[in-house]
Amino acid sequence: MTNFLETLIRGLMLGSLYALVGMGLTLVWGVVGIVNIAHGEFVMLGAYFAFWTFSLLHLNPLVSLVLSVPIFFLIGSILHKRMTERLTHAPELSALILTFGMSILIWNLAQFFWTNTYRSVSYLTGNFLFLGLTLAKSKTISFFLALGMTIALFTFLKYSKIGKGIRATSQNSEVALVCGIDTKKMRTLTFGIGIGLAGAAGVIVSLQWVIFPQMGGSYVSKAFAIVVLGGLGNVQGALIGGLIIGVLESLVTQYMSAKMAQILPSLIILIILLLKPTGLFKR
Amino acid sequence: MGILSKKFLLLIGLVLLMAVLISIPFFATDYWMTLLVLILIYTVYASGWNLFSGLTGYTNFGLAWFIGVSGYVSSILIADYQWPWIFAWPMGALFISIVSIGVGYILLRIKGVYFAISMVALTEGTRELFGTGYLEPITHGGKGLPFVAGIPLSTLYWSILFLAFVTIFICYKITSSKFGLRLMAIREDEQAAETLGINTTKAKILAFTLSSFLVGLGGAIHCTYQNYIDPNYAFNIQLTLTPIVMTLFGGIGTVFGPVLGATLFTFIHEILWAELTLLYMAIFGGILMALILFFPQGLLGWMKERGILPKIRKI
Repeated sequence: MTNFLETLIRGLMLGSLYALVGMGLTLVWGVVGIVNIAHGEFVMLGAYFAFWTFSLLHLNPLVSLVLSVPIFFLIGSILHKRMTERLTHAPELSALILTFGMSILIWNLAQFFWTNTYRSVSYLTGNFLFLGLTLAKSKTISFFLALGMTIALFTFLKYSKIGKGIRATSQNSEVALVCGIDTKKMRTLTFGIGIGLAGAAGVIVSLQWVIFPQMGGSYVSKAFAIVVLGGLGNVQGALIGGLIIGVLESLVTQYMSAKMAQILPSLIILIILLLKPTGLFKR
Repeated sequence: MGILSKKFLLLIGLVLLMAVLISIPFFATDYWMTLLVLILIYTVYASGWNLFSGLTGYTNFGLAWFIGVSGYVSSILIADYQWPWIFAWPMGALFISIVSIGVGYILLRIKGVYFAISMVALTEGTRELFGTGYLEPITHGGKGLPFVAGIPLSTLYWSILFLAFVTIFICYKITSSKFGLRLMAIREDEQAAETLGINTTKAKILAFTLSSFLVGLGGAIHCTYQNYIDPNYAFNIQLTLTPIVMTLFGGIGTVFGPVLGATLFTFIHEILWAELTLLYMAIFGGILMALILFFPQGLLGWMKERGILPKIRKI
């Protein structure tokens, strides 16, 4: 029983992290209309950001987390302004192939400069003992960090003026424009926020797992499963979808095999797209 | 007289080109032969991809799935059941096209980006499945299946040359046919096409299946040429991406764009691979981005716009 509970809690912790990646992807997809295949690569860059600031500048990873959001936000906004904004009215294929190229470019440059060595940030080690359950310190802290980020994102989208503008652009870009919302600016901001979330997720990832240049791929495939589960552009749906995928992965790894857990995202994407292509949750 | 002689000259040129290509094994070195085999294989892949995706606008990110499944079927038939290659290759292609009818029937209802993602998911899922213990008795699991088909390089070259000719001919015929027009109508506006009485589902499935047959046949020959198959190699995302880049480079939705793209790109690949092995993939990604941003119509489209080539669908 404790074993099962521990697996469940591990799944929820994993899921909160996946949700952070998935929410960024679904937000960009819904508002900007661009499927960012390179999203996982920014998670990787965030993880390396934490690693280098930790090992070279001896910066606390929690400080890098705070720093990573504005830095990655800036990178994302500039990328969008210079590059992807041109493709808002181009066929879907263009954006898909562009971001695919970006993904290949980024992880190969990372591999070239930082080599394939597995690295890790050994900041938090050891376990918490809580009600007879053993929980890794790094994972528990990460869970609360991811939770905090999620709450901050929801508050921002729900109550701030820009957040309302972003939601309006997502619902109907043309009407939003007519109502006096600068949709172009909203798209740039959203892209920045999405990349900022990916970078922050990367910093959190570095606390608990090893990092290497190709790690982005597995995150982006899970993020796609999350977007498909939650429905396109649905941030709440992505949160729930992320938790579902985390728990499922944890259970399948524990009770079946790690190999089956790798097939899981593909399987979920195919099943949901066939049965309920609009996602499981209402907006 | 003018047009007739022009056509006549074109015909003579074509026959001469064919004669040169067919006689190449008698005088070329092995290095040039392997390079030509690769060019022809990628010509088949790129044209096959273009036949479905270039005409209907549905992005097929599952080219490696066609190649992998067909390659596996034909390789297993050759290695474990001692089938001669001439029957094993069409069998692999036939298998994948029959599976594609079913898959197309189910997946082609999904539109746009979702279709692309579901094809990637299908490829990745099949790759993992072929590597697991469940299918090990058939697929030999993750450790792969080396085999010797015992085909001389020249025979292989002639077979792939024949396939490339057939593929280009089919693409040429389709783009100038009513069926091709139907597919292009789907690309421009699927709803409008449906309203005009086109059975879009049937047209899409037909094009998808034809594309899978041609690419699958190319994949079977490719795997025999490599004398080896394993899940990571046969379902590699690179096998999907390279033909797409080639098609974009040459000109998407044209007949000779993929041929031009495959030829030029294979040479670029050879040079880059030899000179900058470590940065090769990064440059590949950069080229992909630059093509989309600065050169979306491709080489052939650019020539058509500049008036170097006539603006007709047949080219």
